Amino acid sequence: MSVDVAPPAAASRPAAEPARRKPPKAFDRPRFLRVFTGLFFVVLFAPIGLVILFSFNSSRSLQDFQGFSLRWYEQFFQSESLRDSLIASIQIALVTMVVATVLGTMLAYGLVRARTRWSSAANVMMLVPLVTPEIVAGASALLLFTQVGLELSITTIVLAHITFSISYVTVVVRARLSALGREVEDASMDLGATRWETFRLVTLPALWPAVIAAGLLVFALSFDDFVLSFFTTGESPQPLPVRIWTQIRFGVRPTINAIGTFMLVVSTLSIGLALLLPRLFGRRESGLKVLLGREGA
Amino acid sequence: MKRNPNRRELLRGGAGLAVGLGLAGCGAGNSSSGTKEQTEKLIKKKIDGDLVYFNYAEYIDPALVKKFEKLHGIKVRESYFDSMSAMMAKLRAGIAYDLIFPSGEYVQRLISGNLLRKIDRDKLKNVDAVYPQFADPWYDKNSEHTTPYGMYATGLGYRADKVEMTGSWRDLGEVDTEDRSFLLDDFQEGIGMANLVNGYPLNETDEAKLEKSQQYLVDLKPNLRGISTDTITNMTSGNAWIQHLWNGDIVNIRNQVDNPEDFKFQKNTEGIPVGSDNFAIPVNSKHPGTALVFMEFMLDPENAAQNVEWIGYPMPYDGGPTEAFQGLVKDDPEINVTVDDLENGQQFENLKGDGRLAWDKVWTEFRVS
Amino acid sequence: MNENRFASAFLVPSGLWLLLLFVVPLGFLLAISFGYTDDLGEAIYGWNPENYSRVFDADLLPVLVRSVGFALATVVLCLLIGYPVAYYIAIFGGRWKNVLLALVVLPFFVNYLVRTYAWIAMLGDDGLANGVLGGDIRFLNTPYAVIGGLVYGFLAFMILPIYASLDRMDPSLIEAGKDLYGGPWQTFRNVTWPHTMQGVLAGSVLVFLPAVGDFVSASLLGGPDEVMVGNLIQQQFQASDNWPFGAALTVVMMAFLMIWMVLYLRSAAREARGPA
Repeated sequence: MSVDVAPPAAASRPAAEPARRKPPKAFDRPRFLRVFTGLFFVVLFAPIGLVILFSFNSSRSLQDFQGFSLRWYEQFFQSESLRDSLIASIQIALVTMVVATVLGTMLAYGLVRARTRWSSAANVMMLVPLVTPEIVAGASALLLFTQVGLELSITTIVLAHITFSISYVTVVVRARLSALGREVEDASMDLGATRWETFRLVTLPALWPAVIAAGLLVFALSFDDFVLSFFTTGESPQPLPVRIWTQIRFGVRPTINAIGTFMLVVSTLSIGLALLLPRLFGRRESGLKVLLGREGA
Repeated sequence: MKRNPNRRELLRGGAGLAVGLGLAGCGAGNSSSGTKEQTEKLIKKKIDGDLVYFNYAEYIDPALVKKFEKLHGIKVRESYFDSMSAMMAKLRAGIAYDLIFPSGEYVQRLISGNLLRKIDRDKLKNVDAVYPQFADPWYDKNSEHTTPYGMYATGLGYRADKVEMTGSWRDLGEVDTEDRSFLLDDFQEGIGMANLVNGYPLNETDEAKLEKSQQYLVDLKPNLRGISTDTITNMTSGNAWIQHLWNGDIVNIRNQVDNPEDFKFQKNTEGIPVGSDNFAIPVNSKHPGTALVFMEFMLDPENAAQNVEWIGYPMPYDGGPTEAFQGLVKDDPEINVTVDDLENGQQFENLKGDGRLAWDKVWTEFRVS
Repeated sequence: MNENRFASAFLVPSGLWLLLLFVVPLGFLLAISFGYTDDLGEAIYGWNPENYSRVFDADLLPVLVRSVGFALATVVLCLLIGYPVAYYIAIFGGRWKNVLLALVVLPFFVNYLVRTYAWIAMLGDDGLANGVLGGDIRFLNTPYAVIGGLVYGFLAFMILPIYASLDRMDPSLIEAGKDLYGGPWQTFRNVTWPHTMQGVLAGSVLVFLPAVGDFVSASLLGGPDEVMVGNLIQQQFQASDNWPFGAALTVVMMAFLMIWMVLYLRSAAREARGPA
């Protein structure tokens, strides 16, 4: 990396100065980037707008809007089994996110920092889930559980999801880890910290954005997963995507749109709350950052 | 251009192979097949717990499910599959469903594996209203294990306001739709149709004849806009003017559009594939009594009529359900499956080992051609 | 404790997990790939290498090439769209960084199938776009629709890793680079881009690999020629009841993909060894 040139120059510039100087040219790029990012979000959420619209459709159609009605919300709120499926999906995604992130981060650290004769095997093994199509992962998970005699249930779904997600976390975390030099970790240990303290207080915080990003990714992956879930689910409740995808044959109903809209509203409110609440109580920093324990912007 | 496997991969592969060879001859699934005695044990028709129900999604009126739950104070635990293959995979995994809905072909397979309980038809009211064609079907002698649920016929859905049809399967591909023709992505329906067009029986397995059918499909491809299972969306979005589909799909499509009179169904002269999805109780069911009670409940003429109107498919029982479906499709009676259709139509049967492999090859080669 | 022992300990839990819950089941699958199906459609272990000769016999090569091609196109598009977005969020996001990140992932709360149906409602022949433009443009059932669907589904998988590489990158690095290299483009090329290489690589891997095996996009948005490897495999497992052939197809596909992954591993290993 050509960064060797940079540090001396950076070190000679105290942190307070940049605020007083005119922002350098590179940071004048924002207008293009801002517009681009804005466009991106518009396109990303365009279908969402339609989803919300059709959740109020008076007819069954997902193609023609024919009038305003709350019937699909009624169906959703009255259906205990749909609620069970939604809750199951959320639970599975949360547990998967936590466990896969922990295991995946550990694996990333081991792969990047350790040099053992098991390393290449571990590297290959880490890639195999990524190379495996989900149908096959699901079919083989099903085979494993049946041969071992494990009854299919939410637990088996979680096990399968975690297994499939670990590699995603590892790939994301190791990318950031390898960009972080060993220098800071070495410095920390020169100052007397143990390896474990170094990991906890130096490495992990530095990895934090990658861990968060990976966690979000895993949650999304798990919440929206159909194939793996179908193979490993017991009888009810089936996770939400299984219910949705099996509807293709006889026609998907807008009840699903109602559920999606509901989830969007709930999560938007949660994000909003997380941002606003601390401000209401007098904190100047963004609540999320406080929650996540990170310093600085 | 395979990379030389490293030592670890070889070891892993070897271990897998050893496991495999050691298990040579064993089935890959959990052997949850029953014994003959288990299948013949008498089921008492009474509520013995919640109903564990396993069917296609959106294939039963939820109001009826609620009514049943209220009537008997139990819960109906629904789970869904989207293909017979998927149903079998979960069944073989040992999950104890109380009620499943296999097609005729799969009923035959399940019976030969001793996987279905016998049901006592004398105990079920209204079961004798079933059409005679289903009283002693080819897949279930004397209907000892099953009774039909829904009935279907395969044909061509089309936009009457956009195209002129001639009543033949060849309309798919030959009628000018400005490239808006879709084939159903189902290997049985696809090859079956090609067989019928060529004048062969639906379940033809002779190699030379299958080659001709394969050629028909390959020649058809350039005239197709898509090969899809998303039949309802294709038509309602205007992407399809002719779509290979099942009769109930047209009913569901008409419920969703502003101009239902423009969406019609054509049964074709060369032949009509027909079939049924059937009530069946697996041998490892934990609440077979409830399953029987539920079957009787669904066969009650009033309930069946209500169900027919909701799912959009006919149920092959005289009285309530038949009248209800006739009412549903009075604007386009072609959608109905009449006794004539059942007599003259053909059903998909189990193809013996080589036949199945042959069909699989035909479809794969057609898709990649 | 020396570094190696410490770090190696981290390999154990995940390593064991993957070994028991993934490698072993794949062993079963490998065994099945040599099996038969009986008359009832159930897979039986045995010795039937014919499944493999079938994989290499049939004209399956174009399907593989197409799948790889679509996946590569998806990666390139995701990169072109995702990099600027990740850059903006990481460098200019400020207080809104976490919100923006959450917004990237928020659409996943609405099921992918439902979002795809919304696209069909927009782009269908009788849909919004054609209504507004008054035209008769065929968007759907084309290869472009398939790639569009893939890109839409996988964008987050590119944005998040790149963001993770960029976040809290020392801004003085960029300033120093500016002094050194002059223009903003040179700075980007020589300072920012190399810094994010690993993130780009990570995103590319996370998009490319699943995209090759994808079957949903092709099935919902493609035409008769848009058949991908994933569709073939799905056909065997979910319709034809031919798990052995499906397993053989998968094994060959996975072996092929692993070759590409050697390149990824080499690059990652080089990076981990530190600056040259």
